[in-house]
Amino acid sequence: MMTLLKYEIYRRWIWLVLRYAALIVIGAILLNRVSSPAYQYEFIGESIGKFALTSLVIFIIIIVEGINMLKEDLFEECGYLTFTIPKKGRTILASKLVLLLLQLILWTVITIGFGSIFFSKLPYHEMVQIETQTNFYFFPTVLFILTAFFNFVLMIHFSLTLTKTLLVNKKYSGLLSIGIFFFLVYLIEKVYYGPFLNQIKHISIEIGSRSNIDLLSGGYTAVFLNLILIAIFFTATAYLLEKKINI
Amino acid sequence: MEQVLKTTQLSKYFYQKKALDKVDLSIEKGKIYGILGPNGGGKSTFLKIAAGLLKPSQGEIAIDNKEPGVYTKSIVSYLPETNYLYKWMKIKDALNFFKDLYTDFDVKRARKSLKFMELEEEEKVTSLSKGMMGRLKLTLALSRKAKLYLLDEPLNGIDPISREKIITSILDSYSEKASILICSHLIYYIEKLLDYVFFLSEGRIILSGNAEDLRNKRGMSIDKLFQEVF
Repeated sequence: MMTLLKYEIYRRWIWLVLRYAALIVIGAILLNRVSSPAYQYEFIGESIGKFALTSLVIFIIIIVEGINMLKEDLFEECGYLTFTIPKKGRTILASKLVLLLLQLILWTVITIGFGSIFFSKLPYHEMVQIETQTNFYFFPTVLFILTAFFNFVLMIHFSLTLTKTLLVNKKYSGLLSIGIFFFLVYLIEKVYYGPFLNQIKHISIEIGSRSNIDLLSGGYTAVFLNLILIAIFFTATAYLLEKKINI
Repeated sequence: MEQVLKTTQLSKYFYQKKALDKVDLSIEKGKIYGILGPNGGGKSTFLKIAAGLLKPSQGEIAIDNKEPGVYTKSIVSYLPETNYLYKWMKIKDALNFFKDLYTDFDVKRARKSLKFMELEEEEKVTSLSKGMMGRLKLTLALSRKAKLYLLDEPLNGIDPISREKIITSILDSYSEKASILICSHLIYYIEKLLDYVFFLSEGRIILSGNAEDLRNKRGMSIDKLFQEVF
């Protein structure tokens, strides 16, 4: 797996360096501006907004690239190389997902790092106001966002793999796989998360604790549910890549 | 004689179209085989199934008595017709990739072959001409010490000088421990290599036999026989 990961990094290392360098440089420039004694407090929000926008763009690039990593191998000629190497489906898939994970971790560290410094530049009363007004569990929320997007990429990988495996000789296989993706999204939201969360919420209220139970504000339960989904989609996609590929 | 590959009633459909129709054949160790036929006859489909890139619709295929999978990929060296190397690669990257991912890849043999093929390690694969790319792909495929080599149209679109180099290279790589299966419609150039031939048309084997026996029996070269049959 490490050998494949090495080549996944090697083939796109310039873009990897560029995107994180851009995030750090823009963050540093904005931070330098707000650190100036002449800078007005009311403009800190503007700098935070600019940094958040840059970070969001980089995040979207990471997610799109995460999707394309497998798409290229499935739909382009280089797949003849990838899928004739003597490696298991899970090894091929894991090499791509580990790179995605490393990228997401690095993005999170840089974004949170700069975000914390920007936050510390706010006037004390504003900091207190934000902290008291928001009912926000930081780490569960960050973990929830990361695992949710990781699972989102994996679900797209699964759907793309379907078009080159089980649906390969079906008419409109592309449309079918898109339909399956949206059906899975619906199913997960309504059937998978729904009953679990209601049950957990009920129990939590009974024991008098409402912390980390709300899906939208994060929560370790939601993270746990995401991890189960990741394991399911990873296993299914890896199996299809190894046993059913038709490219 | 030990069988390296065996198929039983192997069929492959793409939607309603039959690409392969109940193909029965076996490949023995230490021989060079040719699957000959016009374009669209099912040759590439057969090789892709053997390489583990396609699944059969019906029938069975066994390579070294195993279904195509991780093990068979470790003993089969496949040369596809397309430019399958990653676009970011230089020739030296392709060499390193093969060295890292195939335990049977012989770097010394590959470097010697690159020299013979007049290819520079620093060249980018995207800058190579079709002939150079053909020579590079063959270098990579034949530098593995595989049990079975699957060569899909190794001469297609290749200039006459490159053709000679490729044929010489295939002959040099011949070993009694391995088998070579070549798919081509350019029979004239590869005829001298072949021990055994299968004529494949519309997914079916319509003629097969020992190349020398066919030549003697029909009183003509395999190339002429091909033209007569198709």
